Amino acid sequence: MKKSLLLILLFVSVVGFSQTKYETGMQKAFDLWQADKSWDAANLFERITQAEPEKWLPPYYVAQINVINSFIEKDKTKLTAQLEKAQDFINQAKTNSKENAEILILEAQWYTAWIVFDGQQYGMKYSAKVQKLYQKALEIAPNNPRVILSKAEWDIGSAAYFKQSLEPYCKDIQRAIELFATFKPEGEFYPTYGEERAQKIFETNCKQ
Amino acid sequence: MKFQNNKISNLKFVILLVCLSFSAYSQTEISGIVIQKNGTPIPGANVYLEGTYDGTTTDDNGKFLFTTSEINEQVLVASFVSFETFRITKSVSEMQQLTIKLREDVSSLDTVVISAGTFEAGDNSKVSVLKPLDVVTTASALGDFVGALQTLPGTTTVSEDGRLFVRGGDAGETQIFIDGIRVFTPYTPSANNIPTRGRYSPFLFDGITFSTGGYSAEYGQALSSVLLLNTIDFPDQEKTEVSIMSVGGGLGNTQIWDNNSLSVNASYINLAPYNELFPDRNDWQKPFETFAGESVYRHKFENGLFKIYGAYDATKFQLTQEDINEPEGINFKLNNQNFYTNTSYTGRLKNKWKLETGASFTLSKTDVSVIEDNIDDTEKSAHLKLKLHKNFSNRFKMSYGVEQFLTDFDEDFNNESFNANYGFNNNISAAFTEADIIFSKKFAIKLGLRGEYSQLFDAFTLSPRTSLAYKVSKNSQLSLAYGDFYQQPLSEYLKFQKDLKAQNAQHYILNYQYTANNRIFRAELYRKEYDNLVTYNADFPSSDTNFNTNGNGFAQGIDFFWRDNESIKNMDYWVSYSYLDTERKYKNYPVAATPNFANTHNLSVVGKYWIEDCKSQVGFSYQYGSGRTYTNPNENGFLQDKTKDYNSLSLNWAYLLSQQQILYFSVNNVLGFTNINGYQYANTPNVNGDFARRTLRPATDQFFFVGFFWTISDDGQDNQLDNL
Repeated sequence: MKKSLLLILLFVSVVGFSQTKYETGMQKAFDLWQADKSWDAANLFERITQAEPEKWLPPYYVAQINVINSFIEKDKTKLTAQLEKAQDFINQAKTNSKENAEILILEAQWYTAWIVFDGQQYGMKYSAKVQKLYQKALEIAPNNPRVILSKAEWDIGSAAYFKQSLEPYCKDIQRAIELFATFKPEGEFYPTYGEERAQKIFETNCKQ
Repeated sequence: MKFQNNKISNLKFVILLVCLSFSAYSQTEISGIVIQKNGTPIPGANVYLEGTYDGTTTDDNGKFLFTTSEINEQVLVASFVSFETFRITKSVSEMQQLTIKLREDVSSLDTVVISAGTFEAGDNSKVSVLKPLDVVTTASALGDFVGALQTLPGTTTVSEDGRLFVRGGDAGETQIFIDGIRVFTPYTPSANNIPTRGRYSPFLFDGITFSTGGYSAEYGQALSSVLLLNTIDFPDQEKTEVSIMSVGGGLGNTQIWDNNSLSVNASYINLAPYNELFPDRNDWQKPFETFAGESVYRHKFENGLFKIYGAYDATKFQLTQEDINEPEGINFKLNNQNFYTNTSYTGRLKNKWKLETGASFTLSKTDVSVIEDNIDDTEKSAHLKLKLHKNFSNRFKMSYGVEQFLTDFDEDFNNESFNANYGFNNNISAAFTEADIIFSKKFAIKLGLRGEYSQLFDAFTLSPRTSLAYKVSKNSQLSLAYGDFYQQPLSEYLKFQKDLKAQNAQHYILNYQYTANNRIFRAELYRKEYDNLVTYNADFPSSDTNFNTNGNGFAQGIDFFWRDNESIKNMDYWVSYSYLDTERKYKNYPVAATPNFANTHNLSVVGKYWIEDCKSQVGFSYQYGSGRTYTNPNENGFLQDKTKDYNSLSLNWAYLLSQQQILYFSVNNVLGFTNINGYQYANTPNVNGDFARRTLRPATDQFFFVGFFWTISDDGQDNQLDNL
């Protein structure tokens, strides 16, 4: 009796352990990221990607880390390599989750990284693509605060340049802030970032 | 005691069980180091067992250590950006103290590129000398893609012609290709001494490669140079574009649905109002007028892209030009209709094969009247091409292709006393193959072979081509290129004489290139040898001229290019200088001489400055060309004198009224330099025994242009800045 109980217990713990492998892995990756070890985190997300080929979040985060780090990269060789890598992982995320607004935002950020790197060469070519991606994201998820925030931030950039009124975009930011307050991610490890940024953008652009 | 024993035996059992379960999940340590070829450790590399969660990132010394519960054979993977991913299959029990050498990824940006002879524009290329926008924002170019290329080294300033003259070659020695398919009539027709323009609007293209020598075996029928234009693959959004210019107007619209897109463009140019305001040196009965329409349809397949491009344009003008031998002047009238279509398909096949295929068809009808003579010609040309490309690995690629050129040329000549009809059929079949071998990030080689069979001459030619590149330091490299090139004589000779031979050129090129931080420096030394050039014994070719192909010649020189987009904020500039030494004996030359389209020194300086506060881009372009040769019959010799030097400074200003509205101004030759293209001498001497002469000046010294460009699109962001 005891034996079989122990066996069952062991069996359960082993099964239970394998079920949480994904969760512990993801959690560990976020911990590394928090601890300022973003490349270690990216490597772990990459390992999870290949161990869990059906999931979209691991490749999404590999791509996101590469994109974020590209915004400060000045060396074209490194930048190109990073963004090419990010693109592969965006593609994988897209294959695993179609019509996903979060991935579309990331893709728009991917193009924005090129524009930031060399506006003269990529600005004209990629602005239209960025705009189109945000529009599509908004169609899919009209109430996702990150979509509203990212699109408004992009619009503010160009409106400020042409000295046009920022008012409609400030309203969008305001709405994003309200939505952030009640935003519930669809599942564990889903993106949640953006609230602080929305506040900051509102402070700098919309309070005169 | 018994109780205790029982407890102990129970404990033993648990331990045994746990051990058993651990043996199934026993932990094995996997360890080692990841290094580069030269032994330098690689920190930050990702090392893991494929398909598992087990793995780690290498530390600062490139070392890794992790445990796994996997057993037996597993695949260990080590990957790092800019290196090829390493894989090894072995038993986990043998995965200790591994030394993993990662090979550099030769597809990365810092790999050597074969650069001899080639200038690339567009962000697909690794080293971009020109950016796509440059074509339209270069002050002197006036939106003509050929005009922008004339600021690159290796080109000669022949301002009255407008076509590309490359390294001592005449304009016919450069061929233009759209999406790999030949364009037979790339230039708009124009009168003598008036520069022509490229027929196709520059905004259709997002990649331009200009090769001034030593190009790939894929391209034939060009002795000196090829210009490769790639059309935009798929537009981003629907839009309508309106342009209103001092010389005409244009309208464009793009529609996108599902996997299809259609762009339609129409433009109308009429120089009558401009000539009214700023009369030029010609007497225009019918000022230059042209209507052009273009459309591109694209369809995306899952693994490929199909494009069909069609363009039609009609040009008309009539004018009287001064002539030293004709006191009344020479009346010239032209009517041209040109239709061009280009269909292409590129697709990925299985096993890393790629297919590129396409066809083009040109129908060009030109009716010219010169005083009393009427010349009507019709050219029908087609090009069919199929190319297969295979990536065996990042380090070894092969391509194979076959193509067929068909030309049917027909000309009617008539005046009051004479009637003639002549023409030719010129069909050429060709096959080519090329191998790209990248030995390392430092050393790459390209080997190519091209064979052509001409039905007209019943002759076969074989052209080997090779180039190699070696990286001498982090930012600089040396390239070498050699090639044999063949080209049929031009239709102006073939129409009178069909029994000729293909002309031949050999190129030898040594190139040095330095690139770093948005700065590029290039120096290129070359020698080109010509053979089998067309010769004839008359003043000008006609049906009773005796033609031959025993001309020859050479061209040699050095080209320098410097572009800097870094040193001055918001300022982008480039400087090109070319030195050219060339002589040839061809056409009706009595002796070898420097032809009148070649000069010794050419200099271009182009600058663009973005003024943030004014939302404006201002640009300038300065061109200098040393004098060109001409024959002075009052002295002994042939092409023995030189004109004075050529100078021109052009300015432009693009002002963004709003995101979608642009106002554009430009002035060519703003300082009003008096330029001389050459001299025309009388056929007979005057009473003093002197041949009188007339100076050939450009039709106008300056040209002004004002335009307003408006884009209407959903997002309200796109504009036509890249259209200017």
